[in-house]
Amino acid sequence: MRWVLLLMALLLPALAQEGPPPDLPPEVFRIARELRCPVCQGESAAESNSGVAAEMRRIIAEMLREGKTEEEIKAFFVERYGEWILYAPPRRGVTLWVWVLPLLGLLLLGLGLFAYFRPRPLPKELLEEAERRLKEPPR
Amino acid sequence: MRGGLWLLLILALGGLFWWGMQRDPRELPSVLAQERRPAPDFALPLLPPYRAAWGETFRLADHLGKKPVVINFWASWCYPACYEEAPVLEAFWRRHRDQVLFVGVNFQDKELEALRFIAQFGLTFPQVYDPRGRVGVDYGVRGVPETFFIDREGRVLARHAGAVDEATLARYLEEALR
Repeated sequence: MRWVLLLMALLLPALAQEGPPPDLPPEVFRIARELRCPVCQGESAAESNSGVAAEMRRIIAEMLREGKTEEEIKAFFVERYGEWILYAPPRRGVTLWVWVLPLLGLLLLGLGLFAYFRPRPLPKELLEEAERRLKEPPR
Repeated sequence: MRGGLWLLLILALGGLFWWGMQRDPRELPSVLAQERRPAPDFALPLLPPYRAAWGETFRLADHLGKKPVVINFWASWCYPACYEEAPVLEAFWRRHRDQVLFVGVNFQDKELEALRFIAQFGLTFPQVYDPRGRVGVDYGVRGVPETFFIDREGRVLARHAGAVDEATLARYLEEALR
């Protein structure tokens, strides 16, 4: 009996955790998460409670039911709102830089680190000193 | 040499920052107006006070290609911008109704509250009811109020976001009539 209670205490909060509302399939929210809510500041169409975001989710659900692909659904919104509606900037034109620059930065950083930590031959005086100490008889 | 490079980098980053701060985040271009696309068609029910004159449903395509059309998206919950522009729109419509057609699209609102708004300002141009806001999505509306100007060929000429004033209305009407 005590075990059952313990299990329930552990499991119930997990069940209560927020998931997508049951009226729309999770696929809708997965696509909506990649689209901006047009009337919000920094919220996706999946998170926002605004009327426009709710309508966008309904449109996504309808289009999925019609058998449209994710690409087609995104294109539908880009057609109306422009590429601004996409959270991920397109990998071409000016916004290609957004994707390339971090890699370029990492590459430069790697090169810099390599140049900094590259094994260098020890200075001559140091080598001579080490040689001399080696030859010294142990005290 | 090294110092110069750092200075250049700092100047470049500072310049980018400054340029970014000069941009108005609310100034978002309308795809429709930028490419002067044909106005997306819609058929929506008219609100009861307009049914006698305009019928049960209003289809935009029936009115395109004659006069310029001004589509105004509004809602009764949009305070104060929609309340500021409603009298301006009504006055302009009364003065120019032979040259231009005004259509109000009530956007994601409750019918009773929409009717109260209409009565408050005595709006006489046709008002359609779009509780879901589907037509707003077709027009790429980012918030109410937004006003779209459609030329005589049925193409979107411009979009004005926020409360519209008389000078703006006159300027776009002149452009649409040209």
